[in-house]
Amino acid sequence: MSGRPARCSGPPDDLRFEGKTMRSSRLVIAFLTVLLCVGAARGGGDAAPYLEKRLAMVRDQIESEGISDPRVLGAMREVPRHLLVPPEYRPMAYEPRPLPIGEGQTISQPYVVAFMTEILRLKPGDRLLEVGTGSGYQAAIAAKIAGEVFSVEIFPTLADRARRNLEFLGFRNVTVRQGDGYYGWEEKAPFDAIIVTCAGGHVPPPLLRQLRKGGRMIMPVGGPFLTQNLVFLEKDADGALSQRNVLPVAFVRLLGH
Amino acid sequence: MVTDARYGQVVPAVFLVSAASLANEIFLIRLLSLRFWPHFVPLIVSQAMLGFGASGVALHLLRPRIAKKPKPVFAWVVILAAPSFELVFRASQHVPFDPFLLLWDPSSWPAFALFFFLLAVPFFLAGAAVGISLSFPLGRAGVLYAASFGGTAAGAVLALPAFRLVPTELLLRVPLVLGLLASAFVLSYPHRRFRAGRVLFAGLSVLLFLVPPVSLLLSPYKDLAITRRLPAAHTLSVRAGMTGDFRALYAPGIHYAPGLSFRFEGEIPPQAALFADGELRGIVPREGGKNPPAYLRYLPRALPYRILRRPAVVQFSLRGTEGILMAAGNGASLVTVVEPAVEYVRMIEHDLSAFSGGMPPGLRLEIRKEGGRNFLARRGRKYDIVELSDVSSLTFSSLGIHATGETYLLTRQGIRDALARLTDRGVLAVSGWLKSPPRESVKILRTFRAVIEEGKGSPVSARFIVVRGWGSFVAVARRDPFTPGELAAAKRFCRDTGFAMVWPEAGPPTGSRNPEEAGFREAVHSALTGPPDGSSGEGLFDLRPVTDDSPYFHRFLRLRSIPAFRRLLGAQWFPFLEWGIVFLALSLVVSVMLAAVFLLLPLVFSRSGGSGGPPVVIYFSALGLAYMLIELTFLKIGILLLGAPIRAAAAAIGGFSLFSGIGSAVSGKWESPATMRRWVFSGIAFLAAAGFLLLFHGAPYLLAMEEGGRYLAFLAALAPVAFLMGMPFPAALSRMTVANSAAIPYAWGVNGFFSVAGASFASVGSLWIGFHATVVAGGILYLLAGTLYLRLESGTSSVP
Repeated sequence: MSGRPARCSGPPDDLRFEGKTMRSSRLVIAFLTVLLCVGAARGGGDAAPYLEKRLAMVRDQIESEGISDPRVLGAMREVPRHLLVPPEYRPMAYEPRPLPIGEGQTISQPYVVAFMTEILRLKPGDRLLEVGTGSGYQAAIAAKIAGEVFSVEIFPTLADRARRNLEFLGFRNVTVRQGDGYYGWEEKAPFDAIIVTCAGGHVPPPLLRQLRKGGRMIMPVGGPFLTQNLVFLEKDADGALSQRNVLPVAFVRLLGH
Repeated sequence: MVTDARYGQVVPAVFLVSAASLANEIFLIRLLSLRFWPHFVPLIVSQAMLGFGASGVALHLLRPRIAKKPKPVFAWVVILAAPSFELVFRASQHVPFDPFLLLWDPSSWPAFALFFFLLAVPFFLAGAAVGISLSFPLGRAGVLYAASFGGTAAGAVLALPAFRLVPTELLLRVPLVLGLLASAFVLSYPHRRFRAGRVLFAGLSVLLFLVPPVSLLLSPYKDLAITRRLPAAHTLSVRAGMTGDFRALYAPGIHYAPGLSFRFEGEIPPQAALFADGELRGIVPREGGKNPPAYLRYLPRALPYRILRRPAVVQFSLRGTEGILMAAGNGASLVTVVEPAVEYVRMIEHDLSAFSGGMPPGLRLEIRKEGGRNFLARRGRKYDIVELSDVSSLTFSSLGIHATGETYLLTRQGIRDALARLTDRGVLAVSGWLKSPPRESVKILRTFRAVIEEGKGSPVSARFIVVRGWGSFVAVARRDPFTPGELAAAKRFCRDTGFAMVWPEAGPPTGSRNPEEAGFREAVHSALTGPPDGSSGEGLFDLRPVTDDSPYFHRFLRLRSIPAFRRLLGAQWFPFLEWGIVFLALSLVVSVMLAAVFLLLPLVFSRSGGSGGPPVVIYFSALGLAYMLIELTFLKIGILLLGAPIRAAAAAIGGFSLFSGIGSAVSGKWESPATMRRWVFSGIAFLAAAGFLLLFHGAPYLLAMEEGGRYLAFLAALAPVAFLMGMPFPAALSRMTVANSAAIPYAWGVNGFFSVAGASFASVGSLWIGFHATVVAGGILYLLAGTLYLRLESGTSSVP
């Protein structure tokens, strides 16, 4: 079941009022107005400017670059990326670049997120493991399509923040854990798909073990900053692995993988 | 001409503040490499150096005011300079700019501008001190200029032992001490009465010693910074020296095995990570010395060990203990590791011995603490495997710029020397990350092929094996074709690991492979069977073998390809740039822009028009540019001969400063136009070429000499030209002082700025036109300056 982000720009759905006296009506209207403002302030708004930027992002950076999976495009249109980056970077949230999120980590540029999601061929009901929660954006995108997303983040501050943000946005099918993603999440294995969002020098053997037969995995592999390639792996019905480089990328490297 | 007879105060102050300034520059290279990446260093240090030029401009603009009291102003500038080296660096750490955003977000540029403006302040003050002493003047120009040069040389000499004796966080205390010593000479200058204000300020500067040392704020994207944040990370060892700041960290979250086969199903043992200037340098598996970990047999680099039995191995660059353990675990009979970073070697051998379990028992191991080309030149023992693992790690740099760093091991001459150290069955082995489109892999294959083809006539293609792993490649090559048994062993390795044998071709027809793999196979096929000079099918990248004349293996960029990148790849073009090239270009552009601003600005605001006119501008610009072109080219060839960048930098900068200082001191006797034009300017052009040619073409002989002999030869080659290069500037100043001195600060500023631009031009020249052409360009500029020497007097204007 896909999560739906809460509507942040309006009053709670369960708010009801019956027409009473004029004074009561005015009080209620005032109350609603206050709630409206609080809701808008709290959510950052899925306000019109950000929505427009998001739609333009999908049109100009993703669709035009060859991403065609309607579920991926839909997810990219819906997930408020700007709410998952630090406030000082919100004006840049929909630009075609990665952005810092703290702890020396970054949120990937929108195209790469879309590319990695599309190539995994996620479908409803899939169980996805994400290594490197970071901002939670990739998990949110995947959660709009897959059944369940299990995400591991090694830095406690990032894990806490991502968990809070994803809960606030109403993603009920994402579980975030703080830990060493190199070892995957054995208790929740096997996974239909695995996505690793930080570059490493090799594909961790535990992750390969936790990928079910028929599963897909994508990970940036390579050396120092700006020399990695996205490696796509598939495990066939016999458990044999095939791999191919699909895209040169620029990922911040996590030494632990 | 007004001259102050108290040389005892001014000259030592100039000497010491110059020493402090140069020491600060060298320390900034280390500190900024550690805080950021080496790519930033040339840009930032160049901008800091602009402080010298800005001081000249300020002197020009403020000349009437300074002229009322030049001696107290000189004293205060020296006193202010002392604490500035450390205070400014501390302040710069708190400027909130994110290097990650610089190339994408113009709104981050103002913070960056503030950052490098701050770093320019100490150089501004030091330059102002020297400039005031020269332009007013407070002593004889030749002596003061000699003091400045001599101080610079002393600063270079002092910096070297400081790296080893002083913790990195305390390095800036060295220029502080030098600055305070300079201050002591001017506390009572000029009337030998101590001034309360000066004493108080100098006293406050002394209190800096009570402040805790600078806590370096590393960029959050540095390997060291990221690893420090891993849960339970802690430091095992810290050492520092000329060749770097080395640190070893352990964290349970470190799992490093580049290109590991997915057929490996075991566990990677706990690892310590080793960092050089904050970047990953090597890995030490825990207890690996007692039992080499099994995963090492599943790395692409293990290929040569599967082909040859009980090989004698030489490895260039000590990457922790992994390389040694891989050799030991694969049955090597002997391992020699060539590593010039002495402190790094000591860290591994002593500080980490308990963690590593020592070295494998029974292994014949030798670690040679010298440069790679020095080792190869000695023509000693022969080896079965010459291992150049991880091509990217073999970059040296005169200024810490990886992508624009010198790679003397990977030139045709370097590979030729390596080939000469192989036994009859021996192989060259190289590995690295596989970029898409392939670059390094193809370039090294072409280099190997170019050298091997100089020998016997059997098909070159039969002498190569190329294997592709996870985003990585490994290639082995030898003089004679591989035997069927050896090829079978390589195929078994590929079968066991799941890696793909790319050459000789194996597996299903090309059409069934994915485009990326097919592209790599095609590139390898072209490199090994195409035109030998690599002149066809190169496309967007420059993949020709490099030579010692331009030893920049990692320069792949063709400037004319940039529009094609953007056209083909749209917004995804960025990963194809090398950041070293980008920052070098930025450095050049920004230097030229600021130089233009500071050249135009005084002309706009100066009422007296005391810039001296075009002869002065061109003369001093040519001197500044030419000096750097020649000095830095000598420095770069010094890296080859002396084996490490800092040694070369100290010898070149120190040697040029020292001998130019001597030349400056005696320049008064050579000032006549006839002498200058016949002997000095022509002599510089001739001796620059002669000295460079001696070092470059004598390298095969010099490299085999002991270290002391190489230093002597290097200094002997540069001494004559450096001696003469010290004369044109003070000789010209003397002529201008006779006519009038109004233009001297402007000349100082112009010279300073073109010195900065010259540093970038020298790097650009080395990259694209080679060392020979760069030195010739420097000589031509000195000849041009010679034609203008006579016109300096007529170009100056009257004192206001």
